[in-house]
Amino acid sequence: MKNMYKSFFTICLLFISISIFSQAKKPTIMVVPSDVWCNQNGYMLNFNDQGSVVSIPDYKRAFQENAEVNQVISQINGMMSERGFPLKNMESVIKSIESNAAEDNMRSSKGSGSGVSESPIDALKKVAKADIIMQLTWTVNRTGPKKSINFNLQGLDAYTDKQIATATGTGDPSFSAEIPVLLSEAVIAHMDNFTSTLQVHFDDMFENGREIIVRIQKWNDWDGDLETEYDGEELGIIIEDWLADNTVKGRFSTTDMTEDMALFEQVRIPLYNAKGRAIDARRYTKALSSFLKKAPYSIPNKLVMKGLGRATIILGGK
Amino acid sequence: MKQKMKSSIVLIVLLLIGVNVNAQWKKNKANEDSKIWRYDLECEGIGKQGSKLVKVWSYSKNPKHAISRAMKNAVHGIIFKGYAGGGTGCTPSKALVGSATKVEEHASFFDAFFLDGGEYLKYVSAATDGNIGPGDRLKVSRREYKIGVVVNVLHGQLRKRLEEEGILRGLSSGF
Repeated sequence: MKNMYKSFFTICLLFISISIFSQAKKPTIMVVPSDVWCNQNGYMLNFNDQGSVVSIPDYKRAFQENAEVNQVISQINGMMSERGFPLKNMESVIKSIESNAAEDNMRSSKGSGSGVSESPIDALKKVAKADIIMQLTWTVNRTGPKKSINFNLQGLDAYTDKQIATATGTGDPSFSAEIPVLLSEAVIAHMDNFTSTLQVHFDDMFENGREIIVRIQKWNDWDGDLETEYDGEELGIIIEDWLADNTVKGRFSTTDMTEDMALFEQVRIPLYNAKGRAIDARRYTKALSSFLKKAPYSIPNKLVMKGLGRATIILGGK
Repeated sequence: MKQKMKSSIVLIVLLLIGVNVNAQWKKNKANEDSKIWRYDLECEGIGKQGSKLVKVWSYSKNPKHAISRAMKNAVHGIIFKGYAGGGTGCTPSKALVGSATKVEEHASFFDAFFLDGGEYLKYVSAATDGNIGPGDRLKVSRREYKIGVVVNVLHGQLRKRLEEEGILRGLSSGF
């Protein structure tokens, strides 16, 4: 009897663990006003970069001063939440980054008084980011007293730079409706089409694997390179063979390959590893990193990640 | 007296049977008209969040049948047909269930869903109190009418129902 209880308990645990591990890593999505919208509405920061004027969007000021952008983003966030896919709110992310930075600056160790360690790369990475960016643009068209809204929502994969979803069009011209009303109508009219194209992307991902980018670089002081031969085969070719063996249906493209670097795009990785755990670019590329560390290659290397979809291996040391 | 009463009862019973048979015949006739799902769907404007305001053009020999079938046709159209557009401001809408294999797989569900007085009625309501616009009652041939009825389909709730049934994948399913 006791044995039966034990078996039942084990089976339950097994089911629980399978259901936990069978969930793929969920991408984060954030709505971001496009550069065009920021430029047209005067939310840009201009600075002089060694003689050339560079303009970058001033998102913080846009969120603080423009009620329409808040309304549109809030409506989009609400509609996506309804579909079971809550989005990151950019305004909140910006505030969190600022408050975290302030806290980190003030923090010191109780024992030694030391501050929190932060490399220049860490500092550079402290920006609002998401796996999928919903880039939002709208313009108000005016013909005499008639107004209409031209609306464009693009879903961009932050790693592959591909446009994975879209909804665009011009709304019904109106004499009397106010801009917020027209904007609300535009969001309602376009969101279904946007989510259906996003769904197509997710369906493709579940069928053919997640699309990532893998970069191979080398440290300056490493004496080998991608043309170094091991058992008569160049290292670059060995890495390509590894990718061919470990991608879904062997899908990847070698975009660039020199003696110092290689860039692999459209690398389709499985969503789960052999243990049934959900994997992303970092977990996937870790296997390549371990493969290169082992004999006969014995190449020490450093694995660097960027979100779910981009990983870099730097050969020659940590 | 007794004889008179008997004949009145027989008359009433016959009348009731007649009404019932007539109603059933009309229902069958209406079902026959819409059996092949012959209708056109177009966007009538931007509805409230989660709903689609559509005009459904139903064909029938009897205008009354076309009107009574409008709601069923509208829900059917949103699920299986979609629409390419309509007036200015309207955006195209894809069918919720595009694949023919899905339709075959879940045929029993859809048969029950589209029964007279079936579940489909939960997801549709008349937008103009059932009134037909003056230009929306067309006689397309000697024996056929084309009737346009504006209805509001609860697109969001309908999609959720189909997701629950496993016919559609949710945006977050698998994550």
